[in-house]
Amino acid sequence: MRGLFHKVPLYWGLAILLFMLLFPLVNDSRSMLILLTQIFIFAIFAMSFDILLGYTGIVSFGHCMFFGIGAYSTAIIFNHLEATLLHFMIGLAIGIILSALVSYIIGLLSLRLKSHFYAMLTLAVSQLFLVLAEKWRGLTHGGDGFTFSVPDVFKDRTSFYYITLISVAVVFILLKLFTESSTGKVLKAISQNEYRAEALGYKSLHYKLIASVTAGVAASFSGALYAVSLRFINTNVFSIEVTLDALLMTMIGGLGTLAGAIAGAGIIEFLRHYLSELAMTYPIFERWTIILGFLYIVVLLGFPSGLAGFIKQLTLRSGRKEKQEKKLENVA
Amino acid sequence: MEVFINLLVNGVSTGLLIFLLAAGLTLIFGLMSVLNFAHGGLFVWGAFSGAWIFKETNSFLLAVVGAIVIGMALGWVLERFLIRPVYGNHVRQLLITLGGMLVLSESIKIFWGPNPIRVNLPGWLEGSYQFDGIIIIKYRVFVIVVGLLLYLALWLLLSRTQIGLMIRAGVMDKEMVQALGINVKGLFTFVFLLGAALAALGGALLAPYSGVVFAEMGMQYAILAFIVVIIGGMGSLQGSALASLIVGVAGAFMAYYIPDLSLALNMLLLAMVLLVKPTGLMGEKGSAV
Amino acid sequence: MSLLKLDNLETYLGQYHILQGVSMSVEEGSITVLFGRNGAGKTTTLRSIMGFNPSTTGSVHYHNQRISGISTHLISRKGIGYVPENQGIFSALTVEETLNLAKAKSTGESEEKMEWMLELFPDLKKFWRKKSGLLSGGQKQMLAIARAYINGDGLLLIDEPSKGLSPIMVEKLMESILKMKEKTTILLVEQNFLMASEIGDYFYIMDDGKIVHEGLMQVLKEDKETCQKYLGIA
Repeated sequence: MRGLFHKVPLYWGLAILLFMLLFPLVNDSRSMLILLTQIFIFAIFAMSFDILLGYTGIVSFGHCMFFGIGAYSTAIIFNHLEATLLHFMIGLAIGIILSALVSYIIGLLSLRLKSHFYAMLTLAVSQLFLVLAEKWRGLTHGGDGFTFSVPDVFKDRTSFYYITLISVAVVFILLKLFTESSTGKVLKAISQNEYRAEALGYKSLHYKLIASVTAGVAASFSGALYAVSLRFINTNVFSIEVTLDALLMTMIGGLGTLAGAIAGAGIIEFLRHYLSELAMTYPIFERWTIILGFLYIVVLLGFPSGLAGFIKQLTLRSGRKEKQEKKLENVA
Repeated sequence: MEVFINLLVNGVSTGLLIFLLAAGLTLIFGLMSVLNFAHGGLFVWGAFSGAWIFKETNSFLLAVVGAIVIGMALGWVLERFLIRPVYGNHVRQLLITLGGMLVLSESIKIFWGPNPIRVNLPGWLEGSYQFDGIIIIKYRVFVIVVGLLLYLALWLLLSRTQIGLMIRAGVMDKEMVQALGINVKGLFTFVFLLGAALAALGGALLAPYSGVVFAEMGMQYAILAFIVVIIGGMGSLQGSALASLIVGVAGAFMAYYIPDLSLALNMLLLAMVLLVKPTGLMGEKGSAV
Repeated sequence: MSLLKLDNLETYLGQYHILQGVSMSVEEGSITVLFGRNGAGKTTTLRSIMGFNPSTTGSVHYHNQRISGISTHLISRKGIGYVPENQGIFSALTVEETLNLAKAKSTGESEEKMEWMLELFPDLKKFWRKKSGLLSGGQKQMLAIARAYINGDGLLLIDEPSKGLSPIMVEKLMESILKMKEKTTILLVEQNFLMASEIGDYFYIMDDGKIVHEGLMQVLKEDKETCQKYLGIA
């Protein structure tokens, strides 16, 4: 039974990957390619958040800062240096190092405390980055932002599509390996019962720091891709809405599944796309953030285990389902 | 000297406004371990509805009362429909109150549009006092007086009344309070509404003070309040009052001398507290871990 | 007719099946002692009665009224006082404030009960305005018992009152509890067999979430085999 469950998603994953690889050959609609590229980028971002919230049970309300750090690092490098792949790598590396550092320091300060502290501190620090980006106009051009050019291979929509698609696949595999490694198992144990994990001799601060840094690094990578995809950057990358995107995508897709985060990214980006189209005819949809906010609350209250949990429940027989629910209730 | 006194007055009045926000946060947290990320949303609703009622009726008193009523109504909805269903689950509580914050501050834009709104001072609070050539703005003195009176009222409520006794006991041991036949959920609703009223009042008082209100203000002040609550010690009213004054006064001086660093200063204060004494200046021992 | 009746209680804590069908009854005006080793489920039994850890199946009846499934504060208002294992002292409240809090939702003549408690535990009178957190361990236990009795004198649930106290203090406390039997009914959880067997009328022994033995305390004192098997007493 368990083996079957393990294999089915693998086949599905390969089928979806194959479909996505072939997709540009059958449909070369430019706007569709752009939309899918956005989905891939946000899928990486959402997966990074899932490592924190879904696998380790850490609530971060400032995840946008790593996204923004990655985005600004790349954008600023391209703004000052030539648009070559090497410079992209340098920008990416700077973003990753900075993110690792920042997540490590925040984690060190607050992860040994109750979960509220990490949530508050990440929120406050991310707002600090927002203010910093607005004030340091010499580097960031403030809220107006700036445009920059990128290497040709990134300019071409189809090749960039493939780059982001492969990135999603690689990040997914890496994070999957991470979660299934011995470290990942300890993280899962911590999320279920921190005291018991500590009692078994695992220093939970150490493991939470690993999760926090991993998530920061992956988010920074997605931010870099995001900046490249727009060839423009402004302080919006540090806004709370970006953090909310990550929350929404992982919650809707289902926490602690990675695949759910990808599905959530797809759902939210499609929804946003159509809502902003609707806004052209019905101005009420201009405030789609509030619609996403309501959706987020409804998902949290009504479907705490997200789409993945919903599907899992459908596939389980009713007898087992009840048991599962009881278990969930007890854990909660 | 004049600069010094003016900055002090500014700092204390801002600090007391932050305290109105932080008082609710810290009591709600102390009693139920709920950290209400939507608290800033109530604050910004207080600011907008107060400004709006003042513009429509030209009565400042009515504006303040109206803001409090609206804040409490929204607080009731929040408590009843968002927080109560996820009692006892800290992660979901955190997540859902952030959603509440987003909806509250976005809905501001639906009612009053996305642009900032200008707010005037009520006539009887315009102008300033002069002492030996030092000019002090009247409204700031008013804010300080109101803030101190509210602190006194809260202190009396907590230390002299039976419901205050229940709240203080509940902060220490919620289960034991229930075992004494006291309905902690009802108590929590009371505290939540009290916190909502204080937050909305804070917003309504801030609006004429800053002269302009905007939707993002809720988050900005909420972050200040969070910093204050951590520095003061979660669950401690005195701690929050002290930390509010520290953050307010330090902020006023920084904003004057090194404006770009004022937010960084708060973060520095926060980092220091987290490193040295995570329970805050006056927090109960061990409540942070 | 028994005052308190537990019928086949089953309680889970998280995924652990702690109470696996506990049935017992407490007679009015008696002291009933619940024995058992650590982790047997004694504390959970009291917590299930109080509604902190509600049972998934089974029922609790008090005065022939079902009280399982209702909220803790409503259970308390039926007249049940509770002394938790850690005493549950409100450390920043004074003795006066603590006992006033106990009167807030008290059943019956709270003034009279207060007077009797202060007579029984004169230390509380002495440290009337002292913060409870500054009291000695024994005084804290007295305060916890007085608070429970003033709040609800129909039935007292007392969880390991002797824990961490000196032998002299334990003896004093047991004497007081014995005196309280005149006016109330007590369900006592204890590890200290010697003390509890002096004051108890009836006993239950729990092991692995089940009641494995019950009977008159007089009989247990003679039953060396049971004592050795479950209570580790030679």
